[in-house]
Amino acid sequence: MVRTTVTLSELPEGSTATIRDIDALSPTSQRLLDLGFVPGTPIRAVKRAPMGDPTTFEIRGYQVGLRRSESVLIDVEIKPDDR
Amino acid sequence: MTDKLKRNVYLVGNPNSGKTSLFNAITGERRRVGNWPGVTVQKLEGSATTDTASLTICDLPGTYSLTPATPEEEVVLKTIDEAASGCIVNVVDIANFERNLFLTTQLVELGIKPVVSLNCFDSFTRAGGTIDLQKFATFTGTTPFPTVARTGEGTQNLVEYIGKPDVAGLEDYSSWLSLPQVWLNAAEEGLKLKKLHWNSATPTQRYSALVDLIRLQPGHIVPELIEIRQNLAKKLSEGREKPVKTTDLACELASDRYRRIERLIAACAVVPGKNIPAWQEKLDRVLTHRFLGLPVFALMMAWVFWTTFSIGEIPMGWMESLVDWLGKFVEANMQESLIRELIVGGIISGVGGVIVFIPNILILFFWIAILEDSGYMSRAAFIMDRMMNSIGLHGRAFIPMIMGLGCNVPAVLATRIIDNRFQRLLTMLLIPLVTCAARLPVLVLLCGTFFHDNPSTWMFTLFFVNLLVLIFLGQTTSIIFRTTENSPFLLEMPPYRLPTPSSVFHMLYEKAAHFVEKAGTVILAGSIIIWVLSVFPREVPLSFDYESELTRLRSSEITVETTEKIATLTRQREIEEMEGRYMARLGKFIHPVMEPLGFSWRETVSLIPGFLAKESVVSTLTVLYLPYSDDLGDAMRKTGMTPLTAFVFMMFTLLYIPCIATLGVIWRESGSARFTALSLMVYFAIAYIVSYITLKIGTLLQASPGIAWFEGLIIITAALAAGWYLLKTFIVTISGSKCNSCASCSSCPARGKSDCTGG
Repeated sequence: MVRTTVTLSELPEGSTATIRDIDALSPTSQRLLDLGFVPGTPIRAVKRAPMGDPTTFEIRGYQVGLRRSESVLIDVEIKPDDR
Repeated sequence: MTDKLKRNVYLVGNPNSGKTSLFNAITGERRRVGNWPGVTVQKLEGSATTDTASLTICDLPGTYSLTPATPEEEVVLKTIDEAASGCIVNVVDIANFERNLFLTTQLVELGIKPVVSLNCFDSFTRAGGTIDLQKFATFTGTTPFPTVARTGEGTQNLVEYIGKPDVAGLEDYSSWLSLPQVWLNAAEEGLKLKKLHWNSATPTQRYSALVDLIRLQPGHIVPELIEIRQNLAKKLSEGREKPVKTTDLACELASDRYRRIERLIAACAVVPGKNIPAWQEKLDRVLTHRFLGLPVFALMMAWVFWTTFSIGEIPMGWMESLVDWLGKFVEANMQESLIRELIVGGIISGVGGVIVFIPNILILFFWIAILEDSGYMSRAAFIMDRMMNSIGLHGRAFIPMIMGLGCNVPAVLATRIIDNRFQRLLTMLLIPLVTCAARLPVLVLLCGTFFHDNPSTWMFTLFFVNLLVLIFLGQTTSIIFRTTENSPFLLEMPPYRLPTPSSVFHMLYEKAAHFVEKAGTVILAGSIIIWVLSVFPREVPLSFDYESELTRLRSSEITVETTEKIATLTRQREIEEMEGRYMARLGKFIHPVMEPLGFSWRETVSLIPGFLAKESVVSTLTVLYLPYSDDLGDAMRKTGMTPLTAFVFMMFTLLYIPCIATLGVIWRESGSARFTALSLMVYFAIAYIVSYITLKIGTLLQASPGIAWFEGLIIITAALAAGWYLLKTFIVTISGSKCNSCASCSSCPARGKSDCTGG
């Protein structure tokens, strides 16, 4: 099985991945954890804004827009069979 | 019934969970707005009565978690001890169950037994969700109430329950959401260092014990604590292939909480698989479309702007004629006296200055309420964020900024759509730099007079420099303060909903009342002060006995010559009197400060009433220049005003200080006199510096003929860009080049270095 790890900011629009890790050193990571961005959670990139940033993600049944500066803190794993 | 139970009830919950709707449904109009002690965050309190109790309901700021990211959220943590002694109602948006239960979990972990309001229950059941309330109550140890706060459904049961005498506030009980034993033991050890015990500790003490476990606080690092953390990590690693590091503890705790939540939901509820209906996704696809999104948004903005300022003009005209009529009425029915003048010139026109804004504010907030309630506001912010981010602002700041073009007053009020306080203040700071309609007369007059060949080009130049200054200030401020701010950019996309009349009404009522009550008083007081300055002292020593000369002329034969003479003399007397008033004296007194900019004292004086309303700059100038010529432009040229001085004066008028009404709302909305005073100084300094630089560059350009205006423009742009770059580099250097992957990473000088995490 081929697995690819990318940062969340690189996740293509419309595709689904699983959160693998989150940068614990960044001060903003605590809030992301509280919002449910914990390892093992499936996440989908819904829509990129017309000017390329931010991007809406769907996680735990709700949608939230994150800027690149936040989404680079999160590593996700794309599995081919996730699609 | 005097022996009713008195109880304080605190509403906590996620932003967008319907907390404020619930508050409205419970309290109706019985409410008051104040500030939290120590911080300038709005405190909303209301009351409700049941058969058994009289309740004081307090709406705490919305937060996703007890761990604060903004000053608003800190309020929740600081109030939690106080709240635990009363009754906590945790508003949970059941359509967004998992994430909302996170806060509930944190509360339960601290030993708090909240009453849970399962809000938005209608859309949950409509989507096919079911929940076994009995099981939920048993498993969590809380008391759940299904509610639909928007319609008020179910809120009565909730209120009756919290009015009962036996609602327990704080007691330890075991629940599926409670902390696992491993964590409890570690927290107990941590508390032991402070000579405390979990069982007797307050919620805040328990909370800080947990925080100590997951994150080392710089400043009080104790070796024992490090050991406790290592032991905890070791215990958590048991039975896992990958050992847990101490830096992972925060992540572990959050994951553990979500595991507990998932287990709870699986046991007592069926959550609809897809929360977002298909039509909403389709609507979203259009509204945030790559090509369609922006035009649709622009159209909506144009509509809001047009209705606010063009339609708003009609009731504004009524208000103005009402004020006029009132003034005339008083004038006709009162003896001529100082009191009458105060009532007409000071109070009535001051009140008029307040109420003329009300139509604008009501219309603007009607649309804002609709955009906000329908869920479109978040989409608009989503579309605009990239652009606003380039000046350090949140996407939501776009609407206040664009409204500023019409009038700064409703624009400042509109900043309430920004939930992050820092972002809100920054937007407030920048709004007065948006050229409002009242500043146009000055530009039209002077551009028409001094640059009659191509006035629009020069006007454009002014706007452009103004925009550059705005970007400069936005960038600088956000870079200086961003380093201390650790709230991530989060833009929740709530589902689309039909706005309810009641929430729109509440918004309008609250805004209008708030404006009249809070900002109105400041504006009124300011108007009276300006009035006093412009009519006192009553008797001005005149250089010439105008009165007797005028009487003599009037009694003599009426010829063309005498009529003309009478007119000249009356005019001269008017001017002398005006020069003798405090306003002109003040203008002359501060004139030395303005002299380096090349202004004559008349310009300086005209800036003072400009503080009351920017339109007054022109009318004051007209009066002051009357003795030289009937035509203002002609008079200005005669007294030696050059196109360059005119340009600098326009620059200064655009930037110097906001009018008193804007200042009044900034003060009241920011809740901080310090912020207001500081921003006043910033505007003045910026206006002064920019005007001075413009003057110097202009003088240089004039000395070397052949350089056209656009070269000048390029030079100004380059100078500002260079200044900004230097400042940025400087700040990055002094802050230890620690890049927090700030807003402007792509243009950051530290980019490319290993410590830049963004871009």
